[in-house]
Amino acid sequence: MNRKPMQMNRKTFLARALALLAAGLSLPALAQSIPASVDEPVTITFYNYNLATAGIGGDATRKMIAEFMAANPNITVEGVPYSSADASRIQADLAAGLPVDLVQTVFSDLDFAVTNFGAQALEDLVPAEELAAHFEGMSPNGLKLGVLNGKTYGLAYTFSTPVLFYNADLFKAAGLDPDQPPKTWEALKAAALAIQDKTDAAGFAAGITGPTAADWLFQGVVRSNGGEVISRDRTTLKFAEPEAVEAVAMLRDLADAGVYENADINGALEGMAAGNIGMYLQTSAIQGSLVAGATGNYELRASTMPSFGDKPVRPNNSGSALTIHTTDPLKQRAAWELMKFLTSEHGYTIITSEIGYLPLRPAIVNDPQYLGEWIKEHPLVQPNLDQLAVLEPWDPMPGPNYRQIVKTMMDAVEMAVFGGADPAETMKSAQDTAQSFMP
Amino acid sequence: MTIEAVSRPLVAAKPRLRRTARTRSRLDGAVGHLVMVVLSIFCLFPVYWMVVTSLRPANAIFETSLWPSSISLDNYAYALNAIPIVHMLGNTLLISAVVTVIQLFTGLLAAYAFARWRFRFDTLVYSLVALTWLVPFQVVMIPNYLLVAQLGLLDSITALILPHFASALAILLLAQSMRSFPKEVIEAARMDGARSWRILWEVMMPNLRGTIASLAILIFISTWNEYFWPLLLSRTPENSVIQIGIQMFMTAEGTQWGPLMAASTMASLPILLIYIVLQRQVIQSFMKSGIR
Repeated sequence: MNRKPMQMNRKTFLARALALLAAGLSLPALAQSIPASVDEPVTITFYNYNLATAGIGGDATRKMIAEFMAANPNITVEGVPYSSADASRIQADLAAGLPVDLVQTVFSDLDFAVTNFGAQALEDLVPAEELAAHFEGMSPNGLKLGVLNGKTYGLAYTFSTPVLFYNADLFKAAGLDPDQPPKTWEALKAAALAIQDKTDAAGFAAGITGPTAADWLFQGVVRSNGGEVISRDRTTLKFAEPEAVEAVAMLRDLADAGVYENADINGALEGMAAGNIGMYLQTSAIQGSLVAGATGNYELRASTMPSFGDKPVRPNNSGSALTIHTTDPLKQRAAWELMKFLTSEHGYTIITSEIGYLPLRPAIVNDPQYLGEWIKEHPLVQPNLDQLAVLEPWDPMPGPNYRQIVKTMMDAVEMAVFGGADPAETMKSAQDTAQSFMP
Repeated sequence: MTIEAVSRPLVAAKPRLRRTARTRSRLDGAVGHLVMVVLSIFCLFPVYWMVVTSLRPANAIFETSLWPSSISLDNYAYALNAIPIVHMLGNTLLISAVVTVIQLFTGLLAAYAFARWRFRFDTLVYSLVALTWLVPFQVVMIPNYLLVAQLGLLDSITALILPHFASALAILLLAQSMRSFPKEVIEAARMDGARSWRILWEVMMPNLRGTIASLAILIFISTWNEYFWPLLLSRTPENSVIQIGIQMFMTAEGTQWGPLMAASTMASLPILLIYIVLQRQVIQSFMKSGIR
């Protein structure tokens, strides 16, 4: 007597489980049912770290938001400034139940944004044809930057590559040819030694280490030596593998030779802008600051990231992607419309010419309607554009301890390069520690 | 040797000794002053460098000469245009003043209770108040944020003031002063028919003027320098404080040193003015808080 209701329950349970499974399987299909357009007034929040600044980034962002709202009268965009250093406002707002709709996410935070802040894959939201239509004309390498586990969670927004800025006047004073900037790390060392020998300036500085450096540039250096800091399946750290250790040892060699300045990012930037450093490897985004310092003082030039001998250079990106977090279909559509506007030909014309980041749409570079004229007047951007063809993603570390993993790795790099510690042992010890922070 | 013979050189040596002591004292004084002058230069140099850098044009911002090769007010114009500095300074001034008044008021009431009344668990409550002083604001920042969000006060001046209604420092400092206040005076007031409220405001408070002034300055300066809470709470420059405004010139695309120094110079002026007016009190307040 008692078994029958139990069997019924089991059946009901099975039926419900199957229904849930079916619903789960069809979720992407359901999610694609966002409205085709925004036909009623809607307000979305856009968490943007450029808005927390008073510089060109903030001005250009406000300009783009204003233009978008003028073209889309039904959509109101509420720009929310936040600090990209800790994203505590996003965390606090999510905890407070406030709407977090669209976010400018630093690439290293992408995994955390997906697993903890509910960032959603564009493939699950936007109809496939519409997505493909918008992606057309975008750099395939640029599109890969926001892909995680096979889906596009982030669409590259303000991003750039490592550029070797150099002081052509110091090159001439050191007897070097400024038209032949160093293309390999070996050549860079020789040039730096010449600059230090024949001028009062320092040879070389880079934004690889330091408290605010993150790990993007280090990842590019390791990749260029054929290594990687994390396995492709994102389960195993690999920054103590021979290729990575070799890259660290190369940097150590520069430091031991006395040509690699151990200056923090701001110090190195100021030294370079002031004309006191021969070469500086850093994101192209700081170009504006360097130009301001160089104007009337010395000739600033730029080149691509150096290679390890004949190995191909594999630069990666710094910067941010756009991620959609809202689950409301109407807001998703509004956020997607804003995302499309910001990553359009017009959007990237503003982003590149006014802030200094790479255009995700390479064709606009030669188009006089967009960046054509501007590029002619700003040749410094060329190495950055050249590297778009070989650009690789900045791998975000997984799990809730992702920042601890990065810090452990980068502290070890700094100790091995400037602290006199043995590169192999230091990187191995750090990797063992950091592996325990992995999810 | 006669006594005179022995004493003669001693008598003659006395003025010499005095002279030597005086010379040494003068020398000590001169060395002391020299050290203070050198230390003052060290302290004032960053302020000088801030002002000088704010006057340098963009392409000369990293010059290391003591005086700029050319002077420009462009940084001031840019800074005033980029962020509402005057508005933000007004906000900071308002918040600092209101927080100072409120913390003094709540501090006086609580301190009086602890100093004058014995009640159950009074020592425990006092210890708990003292312990709250050890809790960093960052720990309670998110709970405070959630509360403020639920009250619908995000991005408002009220919310910037709200978590600062009471201060453990104010309570402890005032309670200590009140405990050392002569009991006879209070008893005399009580015999004259004064009750607690009158004793606090008319008898004790006028005599605690020095401590209150010192405390007011400490609270004002620490509120003026507050950074984390406004950083989390403020969403628009119009509802934010000057510390956030200054930080806005530090961007991912590099720090705009010229405008940043111009904004910092302008932000320093009100607090410098307060310092000049209340110099003695400021020094006393730091000495007192250091001693206690």
